[in-house]
Amino acid sequence: MCLILVLVFYLGCSGKHSAPETSPTVRDVTDDAGRRVVLPLRIDRVISLAPNLTEITFAIGAGDRLVGRTSYCNFPSEAKTVAEVGDTLHPNLERIIALRPQLVLISTASQLEVFTHQLESQNIPVFVTDPHDLEGVFRSIDQLGTILGQGNQAKQLVDHLRARTAAVAEALKQTRPVTVFYQLSAEPLYTAGHDAFVTDLIRRAGGRSVTAEVPGAWPKYSAESALAARPEAIVLPTGGSMGEGNSAVAEALQRSPAAIQGKVYKINDDLLVRPGPRAIDGLEEMARALHPDAFKQ
Amino acid sequence: MLEARELTIKYGERIAVAGVSIVLKPGEISAIIGPNGAGKSTFLEALNGQLEPASGVVLIDGQPLQKFNRRTIGRRIAVVAQEAELRFPVTVLEFVLGGRFAWAANASWGWETDHDITVANEVLHETELAELSGRLMNELSGGERQRAVLARALATEAAVLLLDEPTANLDLSHQSTLLALVRNRCDNQGAAALVVTHDINLAAEFADNVLLMKDGKSINSGKPQEVLTPSLLRDAFEIRVLVDAHPVTGVPRVTPVHETRRQV
Amino acid sequence: MTVIESHRNRSRTVYAASYNRTTLRKTLIACAVLTGALLLTVIMMSLVGSEHLPASASLCALFSFGRSQCALTTDQFDILFQIRLPRILLAAAVGGSLATAGASYQALLRNPLAEPYLLGISNGAAVGTMVALVFFGGNEWSRPLLAFVGALLATLAVYRLARGRAGATPERLVLAGVIVTTFLSSVIVFVTTLMDATRIRSFTFWLLGDLSGTSKNLLPVAIAIAIVGTVVLAANARSLNLLMLGERDAFDLGVEVGKVRIVVFVVASLLVGSSVAASGSVGYVGLVVPHLARLSLGSDNRLSIPAAALGGAVFVIVADTVARTMIAPRELPVGAITALIGAPLFIYLLKRT
Repeated sequence: MCLILVLVFYLGCSGKHSAPETSPTVRDVTDDAGRRVVLPLRIDRVISLAPNLTEITFAIGAGDRLVGRTSYCNFPSEAKTVAEVGDTLHPNLERIIALRPQLVLISTASQLEVFTHQLESQNIPVFVTDPHDLEGVFRSIDQLGTILGQGNQAKQLVDHLRARTAAVAEALKQTRPVTVFYQLSAEPLYTAGHDAFVTDLIRRAGGRSVTAEVPGAWPKYSAESALAARPEAIVLPTGGSMGEGNSAVAEALQRSPAAIQGKVYKINDDLLVRPGPRAIDGLEEMARALHPDAFKQ
Repeated sequence: MLEARELTIKYGERIAVAGVSIVLKPGEISAIIGPNGAGKSTFLEALNGQLEPASGVVLIDGQPLQKFNRRTIGRRIAVVAQEAELRFPVTVLEFVLGGRFAWAANASWGWETDHDITVANEVLHETELAELSGRLMNELSGGERQRAVLARALATEAAVLLLDEPTANLDLSHQSTLLALVRNRCDNQGAAALVVTHDINLAAEFADNVLLMKDGKSINSGKPQEVLTPSLLRDAFEIRVLVDAHPVTGVPRVTPVHETRRQV
Repeated sequence: MTVIESHRNRSRTVYAASYNRTTLRKTLIACAVLTGALLLTVIMMSLVGSEHLPASASLCALFSFGRSQCALTTDQFDILFQIRLPRILLAAAVGGSLATAGASYQALLRNPLAEPYLLGISNGAAVGTMVALVFFGGNEWSRPLLAFVGALLATLAVYRLARGRAGATPERLVLAGVIVTTFLSSVIVFVTTLMDATRIRSFTFWLLGDLSGTSKNLLPVAIAIAIVGTVVLAANARSLNLLMLGERDAFDLGVEVGKVRIVVFVVASLLVGSSVAASGSVGYVGLVVPHLARLSLGSDNRLSIPAAALGGAVFVIVADTVARTMIAPRELPVGAITALIGAPLFIYLLKRT
């Protein structure tokens, strides 16, 4: 009798370490960092450490399951009721643990992967997304759809966004790309490099970023080269999370064709740097600014 | 020439020197002796304005010290003290030329004149440093550096020399040479010198007047024979001494009697 | 000794002794050479940049002082005269100011390691500039002014902290400087993290320096302060020569120690303040350049202060040229280059002494 009890106990307790049971309650996924992540099928408590992932989570209808966000996650407005766990670069580990998440979402656009290891050491599953361009956004939406069990909503969203993207491409078919300088800040002069998300948006908006080949994401740029580039248009990200600061054209660009002809466009920075659904809004706004004639009905 | 009347110097509440007076006359060497903490160096520091006395006055050529600016004082009073660390490379000549600063025509710009160079060389010659004039100061031995400090003071051509333990690092021969130099200055150029020293016998040898200090007060002052008596010295230093006459020069010779001696 | 003998001795010693002395002639020659080197550097470095400019046309335009475009396109002309030359001149002003300030602090504080950055004075100026940017953002003149105030306050703090019973010994000064510098660095990082970055600039600007942007108005001010400050400090060089060997000795020899100290602190703070307001903290200049000057030209401040000023200008111009061309069209912070060059150079200098 005792032996049987012990046996039952042993089998029961070692259930975690043995092979999965007949009906799966976990799934195996691979994230963008090539990591194998084991997740429960149903996730009710998820924390997002990146504004774009917060927006995607809400956009696919899983916003009610978000239990933690960063201080920069300001969209949609419902997101503001979710508990904050710090900013994107210094999330508060204690607070994250206290919220008992089943999953933490990280985007390389917002964080260094360093934080991933900290979370893993606490046995918290982490899913890393690495969107470099618009295709990456669609992929992130799909991935989150799968993980959070909102596959249908995710597919609908992606289809809708793809259609809008295609519409922009169609409108721009006959146009010549306009050279664009993306001014992240005037003094010191920072711009978007090869790895910046917005570089892809500029291309799709019918522009050609003069700094598209510069290595890195946000390089500090030489004033001489900015002057010599003579861009036809200047994009000033401003008004979103960046605040009102970046509202003047850098001195080196003040005699560029863009500045002289007044082709300086201020666009909400949140629409241009977050690899999320609103990036399409940014794309459309930029395309309309760069090629107004192509969008006249 | 230089007179201090009833100087009292305080460090906060503590009285370091209490009502000490001295008169330095041209051609005379005066010595201040006394135990550690007697206030000898403190007293000397007040004599060129380095320290402000709480009461009493220092007169140079009959005028109070406060009337003069630093450069004027620098021309009349020179100090030979323990030299500070030399953290920057400087040659002996440059070091000694520093003594000509007070004679510069301009407040602090300007270059040394030929006269300055001449004086510096003479002084280097006097202190037997002429061969070393191009060498760096920190290549010199302790004794040579001390002579350079004296040379710098002599280069100021000041009529009053204040020396604080000038023979501390010197060997016997150079101790004698250094004080002979001072003696020379006083005899031939009418300088007045004040030497603070631990070496009582050296003071006896070279000084015309001796001031004995203890606990900030002046115990006695006068000629060496008057001050260097066994009873006065025992009161001051709390050690028994014998005083006889130096066999060759006849000046008082002080020999301490150590109470606890090694078992022979 | 007969008259003839003593005269012969005298002339012999004069010959031997005047060999190492820093004379007016030596100073003028050295300064002329260094000024020539500075001019050459300005001209050469203005031919170098992330955009290629034709050399002979550029030289022609430079020598015409901008009056003639000399076969340069309008863009090239603008690059040369609106972007490159002002930046080079700013680098010269910053380098000269920091090196002179460093040389003066080293003499006054009797410490070869005294340097505006190590003593916390650069960071004090940085905090002052940040206050100006936050509270008086619109007014450009508030920056160098408050930077000066910040530098002065940091100087006073260091000096107060360092005052022990034996006076401010060099060791206590370095210790006090390290305390003030690290404290203020933390303040800078704290404020830059909290505040809107676009308003007050990132902390890499403050802690690593950046010569890429200064308004047209502030550049002449920076140059003027550099020149005037160097002249005033050089005018006190003889007093500094004595102070360098001991405060008490200097006092005894006739130096108005208190007065000189105030002049050096105030003027050096002005130099540091104007540099940091324009370009953040550029480290190592105030440490390495004066050392190099003293090693090669002697410790006499009448020569080593002007030499440090000119040498510092050259050093920062060259370092900034590297910073803006090494990974062109991207840029590195100039303080990173001065540290990369300065640190090994300093180690080498230490080994030689």
